[in-house]
Amino acid sequence: MTGRPKLAQMAWRNLWRNRRRTVLTLSSIAFGVLLAVLFTAIQDRNWAETIDLAARMQAGHVTIQHADYLDNPMLAKSIQETKRLMKRALSDPNVRRAVVRVSGETMLRTAKGSYGAAFIAFDPAAEDPDSLSFLEGIQGAGFESSDDDGIVLGETLARNLKVELGKKVIYTLVDKQGEITSGMGRLRGVVRSGAPGVDAGLCLLPIDTIRKLVGYGPDEATQVALFLDDARRSSDVAARLEPDLPRPATALGWEESQPQLAGFIALKVGGARVMEIVIALLVAAGIFNTLFVSVMERMREFGILMAIGYSPGQLFRTVLWESVWLGMVGLLAGAAVTAWPYFYLAEHGLDMSAQMGSETLEVAGVGMSSIIKVGIYPENAVMIGLAVLLATVLAGLFPAIRAGRVQPVESIKLV
Amino acid sequence: METIIELEGVTKVYRQGAVEVEALRGLDLVCEKGEFTAVCGPSGSGKTTALNLIGALDRISSGAIRLEGRDLTRLGRRELSGLRRDRIGFVFQAYNLIPVLTAYENAEMVLALQGVQAAKRRDKVMGILRDVGLAELADRRPDQLSGGQQQRVAIARAIAADPAVVLADEPTANVDSETADRLLGIMEKLNRERGVTFLFSTHDPRVMERARRLVRLVDGRVAGDERRQG
Repeated sequence: MTGRPKLAQMAWRNLWRNRRRTVLTLSSIAFGVLLAVLFTAIQDRNWAETIDLAARMQAGHVTIQHADYLDNPMLAKSIQETKRLMKRALSDPNVRRAVVRVSGETMLRTAKGSYGAAFIAFDPAAEDPDSLSFLEGIQGAGFESSDDDGIVLGETLARNLKVELGKKVIYTLVDKQGEITSGMGRLRGVVRSGAPGVDAGLCLLPIDTIRKLVGYGPDEATQVALFLDDARRSSDVAARLEPDLPRPATALGWEESQPQLAGFIALKVGGARVMEIVIALLVAAGIFNTLFVSVMERMREFGILMAIGYSPGQLFRTVLWESVWLGMVGLLAGAAVTAWPYFYLAEHGLDMSAQMGSETLEVAGVGMSSIIKVGIYPENAVMIGLAVLLATVLAGLFPAIRAGRVQPVESIKLV
Repeated sequence: METIIELEGVTKVYRQGAVEVEALRGLDLVCEKGEFTAVCGPSGSGKTTALNLIGALDRISSGAIRLEGRDLTRLGRRELSGLRRDRIGFVFQAYNLIPVLTAYENAEMVLALQGVQAAKRRDKVMGILRDVGLAELADRRPDQLSGGQQQRVAIARAIAADPAVVLADEPTANVDSETADRLLGIMEKLNRERGVTFLFSTHDPRVMERARRLVRLVDGRVAGDERRQG
């Protein structure tokens, strides 16, 4: 063993000289950790689920489409070679699924009335609720094939059109050449998504039927929707795909294709960050208070230590060690008090339907569940841990500097 | 004889607001290796100030001060820390042990600061604790020891690193007569057998009686310097 002063050991023992004060400080750190973890975990889980739901309601986490389609969504803005694009996309390690769709706007008409709607034409053999969430809530048979003669409508839209299952609906749209064209479908199902805007304006159609109607080839569509293992990788995946896409096709992350939702989430996440900083400051203030009072109470002792040969640096490090210990033990205490509420909320969630007034809340066209569950990204948990340690070390800096500047003769008062 | 401490015309002036207080007014003092010296004098005579300056805890206002030939006025803060660690031992009136450390850990602290290896530290510190009669209580913390026992630990801490001099500030002031006799006996033994140089500041007649040299300070100057046969 080498001979070194046991600064860490002494700091640890110093911490427990005033047990009640230390326990109170540790409690405040633990409570801060609990708040920060649950707060972040609610954000992480709910936004991740919202983004996934938005991807399943619209055009995936990443969308390959015509470069002008986002600004001017016309069927003339199509992309070719969709099979090759799907193959290329699926070779990316973060892409778990790819589907081809034709989407746009249509005018629906029945004998009782006419309404505008957004349509998504898809291949029923290639899709399920995991890629197109509306398929989960269909009341009715749905489509049998990609060239089925059916149509599926949002519940409110069907009610507005006063159409029943099996009855005819005329859909009119502008084809690839810019000409108005119409088709007829029998109502095969009704969708209840929970998002009022969706239920009042959604129309699902079989993709090959629409291709024929609008003059598309068999390998032509308006988009290839990609689903990722982690929505946060969307920009990376889009950037990786971009060089391999034939112009005018382009790849857009969900943030670009759904800017309203991205803006809303960014606003909420920004607010959460402010709250997390406030929590960190409160934790740091508690630690600062404990250490500063503790240092001021021990000025004489520091003078003695200086007299027997401690250097200012060693005194500084001793006090800093105390703050590091506080941070580490506080973190462990925080993990202990957070574990049960975290796993309970991750498993069962918190039902907010009474407060929200319904089972779902529509955000930027996406229906969010009223049951709030938690699930933190590991990197965010690590960040919280590091932030707590950093806050404790920073809070200990000034008291440590103060200890290192002790003038022994003033502190000791020999006589 | 080898000179350990030299003070030549040392003055120390404190400022208390606008008022200047002259604590030492040209103090001359030389201490040789192995001496057992008591500095006495009335309150305000400058005993404490002199010990603070010799112990490198404070700086002189003018004059010259040397410890083992090293001019203390030329040393920086870090060098003074090193000097206190390696060459000076302190025994305080109020013991001033570190409350979170055991008797053994208090006594070994200076050796640990010096970087002495754990095994060597243990041998040396246990030997010293045996000499001061505390080997059996090595694992006790200060609050589990009597005042006399704490002061013995303080003595062990002061001599553990073989300092050039041990500066003892009223070491018997807070203990009863019997304990004071025992402490003085221990320090005499260490002085005799280990050659440790002691310099006391004291009011205690027992310390003055047993010191082999008695320096009397009055108004910041040496008013008497009496050497006795050991």
